[in-house]
Amino acid sequence: MWKKDSSEGSDRFEYLQTLVTEFQDTDSVEAKEQVLANLANFAYDPNNMENLRELQVPDLFLDMLTEDNANFVEFGMGGLCNLSMDPESRDVILQSNGISLVTNCLSNQREETVLSAITTLMNLTTPSSRAEITDPAILQCMLRFSLSESPRLRSLAAVFLQDCCSQEQVARAEQQMQGQQTAVGIPLPKDD
Amino acid sequence: MAAPRNNNSSCWGVPDVYKHHEQKKICISRPKYRDGRRDRAVKVYTINLESNYLMIQGVPAIGVMTELIQLCALYGAVEEYRPLDEYPAEEFTEVYLVKFQKLTSARAAKRRMDEKSFYGGLLHVCYVPEYETVEDTRLKLQDRRRYIIRAVRNKAREKEQKEAVNEKPTSSEKATTSETVNARYEKTVVPDNTGNTSNICHYSGFPLLPFPPQEYHYHRHGNPHWTIPTEDKMGTLHNAIIDTKRLEPQSSSSCQASLDKDRGTEQRLTLNQAPAAVRFVPRTTQLENRKRRMEEAADHSLTDVTINNEPLIGPKLPEPPKLDMEDVSLNTTANLIRNTLKKVESVPDLKPVEKKVKPRRRI
Repeated sequence: MWKKDSSEGSDRFEYLQTLVTEFQDTDSVEAKEQVLANLANFAYDPNNMENLRELQVPDLFLDMLTEDNANFVEFGMGGLCNLSMDPESRDVILQSNGISLVTNCLSNQREETVLSAITTLMNLTTPSSRAEITDPAILQCMLRFSLSESPRLRSLAAVFLQDCCSQEQVARAEQQMQGQQTAVGIPLPKDD
Repeated sequence: MAAPRNNNSSCWGVPDVYKHHEQKKICISRPKYRDGRRDRAVKVYTINLESNYLMIQGVPAIGVMTELIQLCALYGAVEEYRPLDEYPAEEFTEVYLVKFQKLTSARAAKRRMDEKSFYGGLLHVCYVPEYETVEDTRLKLQDRRRYIIRAVRNKAREKEQKEAVNEKPTSSEKATTSETVNARYEKTVVPDNTGNTSNICHYSGFPLLPFPPQEYHYHRHGNPHWTIPTEDKMGTLHNAIIDTKRLEPQSSSSCQASLDKDRGTEQRLTLNQAPAAVRFVPRTTQLENRKRRMEEAADHSLTDVTINNEPLIGPKLPEPPKLDMEDVSLNTTANLIRNTLKKVESVPDLKPVEKKVKPRRRI
């Protein structure tokens, strides 16, 4: 699957570049969504990681997280979820202040977006970023998710709590939940 | 923790209909340059959406479950399956839940079976990650991360190799290129000790194998004694994952180790019998004794042997009834012959023929 000729590799780069260019140039929201979904799906294939980094697609995805269009946010977050599996891309996302942008997505209305955000945060966990990712506010949010109705959300939050932080941290967050609450991960009421 | 680790009751409980089960509308407004071979919806795939668990809808309700599972097994080992009777189905169709041992199998099955006709019905196949336990989810993410890291490393290595070839265009032989690659690694690897360096270079100079040994089921059948997955009260095999984990280090050492192990037990058997006192018995007496024993065995074989074998539940093959030759040395010889035959028989079995591991049972 990953046996590609160099000529094919450069073809792929040009194709991805065309996608990025169309995304930037088009005014059609529909076209933007399609291209964004394309790029996010290309990020699933490890062969494209290098090309996508070169085209600064990690930053493109991060930019989407603050958009109003929920599809943009979902696809951008999905792209980051795919990209962040790769250590080099993970470092790029961390350098672009990705943690706080991704953390904000924990309060998204769409489950798929929230799931991508949790997985991305797990992928972004490194010795140096651990402190920021295991912030009590995030842990409290995960504790709430672990009581969720949705089995997928429940399982993923449980994996986060078991793998990304210490039991003491969880216990402390649980204690704090008795007292003051944080708003991380609580969706705002719908406007419409 | 709020969510227990192995929440089996919720895992196989009454299913809900989730949005991702529905087929999304396909997109028809793509410009030609990014229109794929197949019509697809605008959707982003992440590891969260994928799963070892597939739900198959649209199966005609004409009793073709076996055929369906056989079809699934073409794409990889099926760990368990059951009909989702509670799930809302179209009239005259059934819905099934199938758990594959590996995500890659589930992926292949989904791609090949979705929207294909099956006994006159059109199947709709989708991932159902909501059936995963916490452990399933964890393993899925770990596997994915490992796969990506491996793939990215392989790619970097390939690139480096290519550069090495470009540096020395005159010597296009394989041996020389690998030598240059090794030399490059020698520079990067810090030589901690004298003798070890060559080993390390050797190790890092070759691309890693594409997949770790994941065909646990082969070993599971090879050594049934200590890997029979225990079913929980719901009849599911979720805890089997723990067993496969325990197997992992063993499986890496390939079948050679298990062969050695077998040989070891054989030797022990023969050694145990050897020290017994040897006493001479005339051949005619031996033959007579043997005949009598065979007759006795034939009389009792229908009753005794089956009763003896009863407690052995599981995939272990029933032991052929052993004849007592009434003599230690004859017994030893018979054992040797028996074991050799077993060894000869087992050789073609090394190929994992049981591509379609029969699912345990229908709940």
